Amino acid sequence: MKQELQLKLQAYLDGELPDGEARPVAGLLAQDAEARALLAELKNTRAALAGFEADIKLPESREFYWSKIEREIERQSAMIEPERKFASPFASFRRILAPVCAIAILVIVGLVAIRQVDFSDRRGLEVKAEFVDGGALTYRDHTQGLTLVWLPYPAESEAALTDTDDIL
Amino acid sequence: MTDKDHSSADDKSLVRAAQKGDMGAFEELVARHRDKIYARAYSMMRNEEEAIDLSQEAWVKAWQRLKQFQGESSFGTWMTRIVINLCLDQLRRHKRQRAESIEAMDEESGGVERHMPVVTVNPTEGLERIELRQRIDQALSQLSEAHRTAIVLCEFEGMEYKEIAKAMECSIGTVMSRLFYARRKMAALLSDLKKPE
Repeated sequence: MKQELQLKLQAYLDGELPDGEARPVAGLLAQDAEARALLAELKNTRAALAGFEADIKLPESREFYWSKIEREIERQSAMIEPERKFASPFASFRRILAPVCAIAILVIVGLVAIRQVDFSDRRGLEVKAEFVDGGALTYRDHTQGLTLVWLPYPAESEAALTDTDDIL
Repeated sequence: MTDKDHSSADDKSLVRAAQKGDMGAFEELVARHRDKIYARAYSMMRNEEEAIDLSQEAWVKAWQRLKQFQGESSFGTWMTRIVINLCLDQLRRHKRQRAESIEAMDEESGGVERHMPVVTVNPTEGLERIELRQRIDQALSQLSEAHRTAIVLCEFEGMEYKEIAKAMECSIGTVMSRLFYARRKMAALLSDLKKPE
């Protein structure tokens, strides 16, 4: 007998075959003595096993068996308790920590943004008169790396000399 | 632990009380179901000491997870599934410790059981209950762990093929083949075709 058919017979016994497949197997059983014999063997084995576990009894007394379970439960509870005690204040601290951190981050970001605007304003619009010649003007834009120098032409000092020459 | 007498309460009331922390109620549940839980562990492990340890571990786990028990099945069924899972984990550890190459080869080739003659008479007919129990006990011990597990989950736990496949982490086809060879070998052993070594 093919293995596939053997497994089908077993599935038939276990009620695992869909109706469509169970009917042909039932038909085969009516005609095939070997299939019937195999099914009978499987049934006998099943019958022999039925109720087998009911006779197995725990070889320990109720008190002794329970005492070991109780001890283990207590031991594990004792291990969990300190963890809970430790975890409990930390957990409440964590609950407060999250919103506080969020607010702090927002404040910091806000301050940095304000400072940056303020800073860039100051750095970007720097106007200086650095030369001895009071007519020169320097414009520095740090953000763009730009420096502009205005020199009056003719220079005020030269103009002054010219004026003196004219007088002389 | 309370001194309250729980012996007359039903399982549901005991579970409710235990869920509220009543150890006395839980102890009563242990007393009621301990034989069944131990028997299942013993059927799977075939070792008294290991079965006691695993059944006790199952009770400790049950106490820890008691609040998760919603009563969809009976308490006994819930407990049995816990001990089965623990036994399966233990068997997996056993398997890792030693390669089951012969068993794997048997499954692939069909094994000797496939070619054995069919046992035509009921080998257990007329046997005394004690004798029958002893024979089954011996026969179960001679099965490989994988074959025995398939038999236990199907015959004793009444699981469907797909449930067994999930529990044993294998295909339904493998379950069917393991179950078939296990049953055939059991039949042969019970009929003394194969003398226990």
